[in-house]
Amino acid sequence: MLERIKKLNLLEKARELVRKPVFLIGTGLLFLLLFSAAGYGVWTTQQPPPQPIQFNHSVHVGLGVQCLYCHPGAWRQASAGLPTSGKCWGCHQQMANTKPEQQKLVEYVNSSEPIPWVPVFIQPDFVYFNHRPHIAGGVNCETCHGEISRLTVAEPIAGQNMGWCLDCHRTTAGDDEEKLIRLTDCSTCHR
Amino acid sequence: MAESKIPVFSAKWSEEEKGKWGLVVDQDLCTGCQACVTACAMENNIPFVGEEDAAYGRAMHWIRLERFWEGEYPQVKATPFQAVMCQQCGSAPCEPVCPVFASVHSQNEQLNIQVYNRCVGTRYCANNCPYVARTFNWRDYDRPEPLNNQLNPDVTVRRRGIMEKCTFCVQRIRKTEDAAKSEGRDVYDGEVEPACVQACPAEALVFGRIDDPESAVSKRMQSGRAVKLLEELGTQPRVTYLKGGD
Repeated sequence: MLERIKKLNLLEKARELVRKPVFLIGTGLLFLLLFSAAGYGVWTTQQPPPQPIQFNHSVHVGLGVQCLYCHPGAWRQASAGLPTSGKCWGCHQQMANTKPEQQKLVEYVNSSEPIPWVPVFIQPDFVYFNHRPHIAGGVNCETCHGEISRLTVAEPIAGQNMGWCLDCHRTTAGDDEEKLIRLTDCSTCHR
Repeated sequence: MAESKIPVFSAKWSEEEKGKWGLVVDQDLCTGCQACVTACAMENNIPFVGEEDAAYGRAMHWIRLERFWEGEYPQVKATPFQAVMCQQCGSAPCEPVCPVFASVHSQNEQLNIQVYNRCVGTRYCANNCPYVARTFNWRDYDRPEPLNNQLNPDVTVRRRGIMEKCTFCVQRIRKTEDAAKSEGRDVYDGEVEPACVQACPAEALVFGRIDDPESAVSKRMQSGRAVKLLEELGTQPRVTYLKGGD
């Protein structure tokens, strides 16, 4: 009997504690903290990586520079490549280079050190993407990379996954059975 | 009874399927130098498992050299060296048993492809392989500096719990096909060479298209010495052995 009363007392006390506004606000805050932490975690994966130079894509594309001028690898090999300081200097040596970001380029050229660009559009290690057949097949850069001409620093695009690749491969193949087999074969991208 | 929801395995191979890529191993020319084994390990990022794991039978090789003793001691005779790799069966026993479709038939290259990112490591395929051609990653074998620099960037580095096997160096096949396409021509005979074929000093291994009757492989397959391993199982192996010895 006594034990039962003790138990009831404990239950009563727990109920009182739950009803206290401090407890309610505390749990609310805890959940808010957890959700915001998770949200921040997801947000960080969607951010463009920090680059050594805040390269402005829109200005360069606006001046009429082709994508393949600075990323010529896409034309003939798997990797599109990132420009060396020598390539930048080809045009920039004829300029004043007064802006702070241009000054960074001058420093890299003067110290003859490579610019440590950080690749933005990366795929997992088990995916073997090749630019060449895509360019040869008439796919435009912006089909996969988005409107880079409107961006300053290149930003990744969410959802570049296998389903996204295969959607395009299936549409491209159309009714051509042989092409469909070639474009949806596992060994085309994974090896 | 309700209809089963399990998808029916339906590979599209048929008895008439000739296959695309094939390999011929001439046992009379093979000296057992193990150059193919080494070249394969280098090309395909196969880890060295070490003494202890090898003793447990966990040694990893995509190609191995077999040799048997025939007869009773002391009248024993060694059989000629036999390089055994994945036979790239046209009707592969490893394929229908995979629960996650990691072991699939490449319709394009007519090869058995292991999709590492799908594999969950049930090892059913290895148990079903009559040639014991598959190896399993029992651990994440580390590659201390500077060994990591020898990794081939064209091949996935497999992690623990993944089944792997000979792919006929599909990365080289794809690369050559891509190069040929960019030059607007077909892949010519002998242009694709897997690492083992390239390394063989005796030219005991020959690789090429078996659906082309004029290729070096097809011509060698016409030899009277030609046999296929465990052909009676109906696996339709793509590797032909030119019987040696005697």
